[in-house]
Amino acid sequence: MPRRSKGADAPIAVSEGAGGVLIAPEGAIDAESIGRVRETLERKLPSRLAGAVTLDFSKVTHLDASGVSVAVFLFRLAKGAGVGFEITGADKDRRLLIDLALRGQEPQEPAKAPGFVREVGAASIAIRDGVVDLVRFIGEIALVCVHLVRYPQHLRVGDTIAAMARHGSDAIAVVGLLGFLIGAIIAFQTFDPMAKYGAKLQVADVVAVSVVRELGPLITAIILAGRSGSAFAAEIGTMKVTQELDALRTFGIDPVRFLVIPRLIATTVVTPMLAIWASILGVAGGYMILGAEGFTLAQYTDEVRQALTVGGFVQGLVKAAVFAILVASIGCLSGLRTGQGPGAVGLSTTRAVVAGIVAIILADSVLGAFFYTLGI
Amino acid sequence: MPAPSAPAPRPTARETAISLRGVSIGYDRPIIEGIDLDILKGEILFIGGGSGCGKTTLLSCLTALRKPLAGSITIDGVDIVDSDDDAIRSVRRRFGVMYQLGALFGGKTLLENVRLPLEEFTDLPDDVMDDVARAKLGLVGLGAHALKQPSEISGGMQKRAAIARALALDPPIIFLDEPSAGLDPVTSADLDAMIEALNRMLGTTFVIISHELASIFAIGQRFAMLDGARRKLVALGAPAELRDHSDDEWVRRFLNRVPTQES
Repeated sequence: MPRRSKGADAPIAVSEGAGGVLIAPEGAIDAESIGRVRETLERKLPSRLAGAVTLDFSKVTHLDASGVSVAVFLFRLAKGAGVGFEITGADKDRRLLIDLALRGQEPQEPAKAPGFVREVGAASIAIRDGVVDLVRFIGEIALVCVHLVRYPQHLRVGDTIAAMARHGSDAIAVVGLLGFLIGAIIAFQTFDPMAKYGAKLQVADVVAVSVVRELGPLITAIILAGRSGSAFAAEIGTMKVTQELDALRTFGIDPVRFLVIPRLIATTVVTPMLAIWASILGVAGGYMILGAEGFTLAQYTDEVRQALTVGGFVQGLVKAAVFAILVASIGCLSGLRTGQGPGAVGLSTTRAVVAGIVAIILADSVLGAFFYTLGI
Repeated sequence: MPAPSAPAPRPTARETAISLRGVSIGYDRPIIEGIDLDILKGEILFIGGGSGCGKTTLLSCLTALRKPLAGSITIDGVDIVDSDDDAIRSVRRRFGVMYQLGALFGGKTLLENVRLPLEEFTDLPDDVMDDVARAKLGLVGLGAHALKQPSEISGGMQKRAAIARALALDPPIIFLDEPSAGLDPVTSADLDAMIEALNRMLGTTFVIISHELASIFAIGQRFAMLDGARRKLVALGAPAELRDHSDDEWVRRFLNRVPTQES
């Protein structure tokens, strides 16, 4: 095992002549001695190499694969100084080892760091490419949807139902729990301020409106991005890395129809349902606080009924469906655009979640403004 | 006048590096049973057999990643089947492993991959570690790719980088799982030459799982053949000897590359 050996200098003769520097180590150059050999060598070498470097192995009794690194060190040093490098005194086996080790060891120019302007430009191009890619992908999905309307038998119904189960019913517990807690938290945080105006019961309005119109769909979509968007990216990304997507294409099967559409339909169907579920439990969570303050269930439900409108309910459903389409599209697109290498799937998954959540919030803002303009 | 190569730590011929006694390998049920095998110090041993005959499972047992269903495996006198974790960790420093798909760490350059064992187990200065890692990469023909990420190189190159990483600490035993698969013939021959040179000069023991007949005959000193159908080790000997004179028809067919329908 290579180690830094402490103690006396390694026996290395370094002599400078008209032809350059001759370096003649003695004894073993191996994993055990490599640290000491390098220390000694670096101390004895001239500060500036004026001529060729010759490494003489004739007095070396033992050389291993770590010991060969001395030749690599001197070779790179010589090439960096623009002088020649030569090995002498090595028999056939050593020569082979050294020659193999020296292949491609010329010092390389370090890659120049791109300037600020270039970095900004590259980032802008990457953003533009990403947007173009997303638009193109949505176009691909639209084309496949048109195809499926004409040939509905091409829809993979089994896969779609399986995706509904995995990304819908399996999320019921977590969505319900978060919805309930959000409702309770809103009621808890607004109770005192509302009480100052004598509007304790109107906390029910606040809970109902915010949960049904806004927070129910939002919480559901964020959970969807974390659970399903990441899963889509990881599943499809792994298929890309293992060439399963190539296999599909060579069979003439469109990966968008085969993989994306079932997931997209499944999430678009189940997410509004989950949002309703989150809203119901959110309203129930609100009652937990108001009930503790002495209001009856009848008072609470009457207030909630007055606060809710059909428009508000529809608004929540539309938002949930739009969020689902965004999360599923971004997750699947990230998977399809997965690069090569072990870290690629992880990167795709991260991108799917982050981009999914950003898209949800942006869409929520746009939809909020849209419904406000419509007076809903 | 060149110095004669290495009064190296080349062992006397019959010392045993790894000893298997009555080893059965498998998962729910045995794939191969009753393996008795002594892997000798300083030899190049190929382990081969048909697909699914348990070669890679055997490698997992030899590298203490999996326990055999029965029997004992001893490496340098330590029984790795019954030892505690500390003893196994210590034995693991005595061998390097190249896995079938390379198993390089993503997000690290090739140089950093090879440096990693040096950083963990040596106190060498940074620049020396760099040069040792560069030398190991050079040995497998990747000197010019030291600063690339595994994702930037081909599968064959990843395998070679994994061999360089297995060599990082100059272990006396190196296990290679299908090293030549996916490599072009010239690179494969270079790899064989490198293995043979390391073996000859340093006495490194190589245990190689491979189907590659060209490599087996070029550098294999012994060949151990597993047969999944009969669930046993069916042959052990010099590859050419087994090819030409084995009593076992399946062994001859395998080493002569004879299709089933001609048997």
